[in-house]
Amino acid sequence: MRKRIVLSGSAAIALTAVLAACGGANNASGPGTPTISAADKGGTLTILDSETTLTLDPAQSWSLAVTSSGLLWRRLTTWKIGPTGAPAVVPDLATSDGTPSDGGRVWTYHLKSGIYFSNGQPITSYDVKYGIERTYAPALSGGLNYQKPLIADTAGYPGPFSGKQLSSIVTPNSKTIIFHLNKPYGDWPWVVSTTSMAPVPEGKAPAATFNSHPITSGPYAVQSYTPGTSAILVRNKYWNAATDPNRSGGPGKIILELNQDPTVEAQTLIADGPTAQNAFGADFVPPAQLAQVENDPSAKARLVTSPASPLEYVAVNVESPKLKNLQVREALEYAVNRQAVVVASGGPVAADPATTLITPGIVGREPYNLYPAGTAGDPAKAKSLLAQAGVHNLTLTLATPNDPISTAISQAVQQAYSAAGIKVLIKSLSANAFSTLATGNSASGYDLALSSWQPDFPSAMDNIEPLFASAMIGNGNYNISRLSDPKVDALINRAEGTINEAAAGKIWAQADKAIMGDAAVVPLVYNRNSFLRGSSVGNFYIGEFPAYPVYTAASLKQ
Amino acid sequence: MKITRFLLIRLAGMIAVLLLVSLATFLIFYILPANPARTECGRLCTPSELRDVRAFMGLAQPVWRQYLDFLAAIFAGRTYGSGPGAIVCPAPCLGYSFQQNRTVLSLIGQTLPVTTSIALGAAVLWLVTGTAAGVISALRHGKATDRAVMTTAIIGVSAPSYLVGLLAILLFGFKLNILPVSGYVSLLQSPAQWAFHLILPWCTLAFISAAIYGRLTRSQMLEALGEDYVRTARAKGLRERRVIVRHALRNVMIPIVTMFGLDVGALLGGAVITEKVYSMYGLGALLIGAVQTTDLSTISGVTILAAVFVLVANFVVDLTYKLLDPRV
Repeated sequence: MRKRIVLSGSAAIALTAVLAACGGANNASGPGTPTISAADKGGTLTILDSETTLTLDPAQSWSLAVTSSGLLWRRLTTWKIGPTGAPAVVPDLATSDGTPSDGGRVWTYHLKSGIYFSNGQPITSYDVKYGIERTYAPALSGGLNYQKPLIADTAGYPGPFSGKQLSSIVTPNSKTIIFHLNKPYGDWPWVVSTTSMAPVPEGKAPAATFNSHPITSGPYAVQSYTPGTSAILVRNKYWNAATDPNRSGGPGKIILELNQDPTVEAQTLIADGPTAQNAFGADFVPPAQLAQVENDPSAKARLVTSPASPLEYVAVNVESPKLKNLQVREALEYAVNRQAVVVASGGPVAADPATTLITPGIVGREPYNLYPAGTAGDPAKAKSLLAQAGVHNLTLTLATPNDPISTAISQAVQQAYSAAGIKVLIKSLSANAFSTLATGNSASGYDLALSSWQPDFPSAMDNIEPLFASAMIGNGNYNISRLSDPKVDALINRAEGTINEAAAGKIWAQADKAIMGDAAVVPLVYNRNSFLRGSSVGNFYIGEFPAYPVYTAASLKQ
Repeated sequence: MKITRFLLIRLAGMIAVLLLVSLATFLIFYILPANPARTECGRLCTPSELRDVRAFMGLAQPVWRQYLDFLAAIFAGRTYGSGPGAIVCPAPCLGYSFQQNRTVLSLIGQTLPVTTSIALGAAVLWLVTGTAAGVISALRHGKATDRAVMTTAIIGVSAPSYLVGLLAILLFGFKLNILPVSGYVSLLQSPAQWAFHLILPWCTLAFISAAIYGRLTRSQMLEALGEDYVRTARAKGLRERRVIVRHALRNVMIPIVTMFGLDVGALLGGAVITEKVYSMYGLGALLIGAVQTTDLSTISGVTILAAVFVLVANFVVDLTYKLLDPRV
């Protein structure tokens, strides 16, 4: 389901930072957690959500594999996210993560037996192909389409409604599907785990109405969906648990209550009344309620906090005439006061200082600090670098989304730079105007941009490529530093073409350091997200990635 | 004949205003630095895909053509794309929301009953309680009752609706646990549940607005009670109740009705904060969501509808003047 929330790699607006309970990782087994085994089935789980609409057409969904779309859609692969341990890609509809050939250019999958849609129809490789082809139709644009630029020979393809098929996706029989890519791509198993790769039954998914009456493949089917009010999910009676070890399919029914006010939502869950006991919140707990939770042992036991995850950063526009000189950019690295940013984000419980780019918990992440200046920054060092560069009276424009936390963080950055003699003018913009400016084709209009980012799937690729590959400058893409470094591009290409995850991780770590060497970005903090659950909800946890609860594992006390 | 002419002139004026409002909405979004096709195309959208999406959404045309297409669709409907992948918006088509995959008319059809339920119920409540409080206060001028009513009114005038809403939720929803705190139940589904779920939104809105109406009624009433015609009425030996209701209050109601008409018209355009606090998906919540996602079609459709409400409310107010004040 499309959630136009920040973080999912895409919309890089800083709304993420919230206060959070101490202790970092998940609190799944806190004192108030009911003992619930995978055998606990039944009951009605309520998910309270501030979103007013859901996208129930997988072609357009931005939902993560383990949140709401995981309840409805199976893909060839999915994620295994436990309360502890590294996230892993695992087979879902397919029998394996994929078999690469031609150096990673061709990927082959075989489907399991006993897999069905919610209408009772068996799921075939033709349905997987059709689902992917639908994402190319202009009427169904806007999904999480990592596959689009990778699948070969798709130029000008208008989608399957035209009667045309993609020749680069081959289905020799109903159980086999072969993808031909235009370059070797080691993260392809992660790409096929995204919602837009879900199978859709051919001829039964009109572009205009499938969103209202979707045919699903996960443990749940959509009984009704009223935008702004609720979506009621009931068991998909054709879902075969034996083929799907990654989803608990616990609750008998799930009601997504939409259009909730986050403050009222948090209060409802803190109060834990009869209707709230079977519920959890899909939204971050607001700072005021988080403080309230700290003093309420019952609520505190029901609070789940993510490890430090989404990165808050200042993109340094290297195309700005004022920032072409590396020494000036290095001065920005030394001058930043991360301690002040932590405070602006909600305190040490809400954010950890960050000096690197790759999300903690993802293969390739290596802690280091290229510009050691202490968490409070080193304005004197910054001043001396500026003097060496012969730059005086530097005035920079910092574009920032106009939400309260981004505003507070940008003011903290402004003050820190002021101590180093750099004047910062804050350009506060609505989320849409911000992304139009920062992701547009013109490099003018800002020198610095405050943004935040969480990958759409746990690969270092999604930390680096969208934000720093030269192909991702302008045209709505998120290289808002506008960095075009052939060395970085070469590392990205090499890492993407490396099939072995650990080997690829080492190259991503080099890319991370190379980008920091260019001083094209000032990492500020890794944020934490906190969520509340009712007292009868169990198996409610956040793994090392993503910074969201695993909806597909939650069950109710029976 | 005179009334027919009056009606025709007003109707023509309303259509002209609506055309201007729709044109202004269109131009504002044409000038704004936002790109709906870009938003719709998502990330990893190549320039050629963006061109296709723009063409599909009808945004590749010059702005005047887009505006004419928009107007024509109201009468003739509209089809985006062609073949089995086409999206049809039947007449009267106020646009199609690509963000929500629904026609704007169906979105309005879903949200309007919510907003109407909130607005009309609250309006009746605040008009009755507000004017009654104002009249009582004026009649007990300077006494304890007057002070108590006006102090409450000052609290109502000063309190932000978000705060009143949250406090009401905390008290009646969580502390006393006697009223539901969120959600809307359709009147057709269950009239009792409909009213039960609306008690808090009605009271929240009414508390704030009744305070304003109470203060206005009080001052108008005090003024009216000092007028010659009231003294004359009393001198004629009319009963005090008749003097107050038929003579003083009738005059007091003229400015009140003017304000009431405008307030109800504006509220029908969306009780934004109240809808948000009580998790009710009305026109206000729809509009806010559309603004956040640059959903131009929805914004245009709701703006025009809100303009219709304000115009119609004004029109009704003008007609009411004729009933209240024979000189008009």
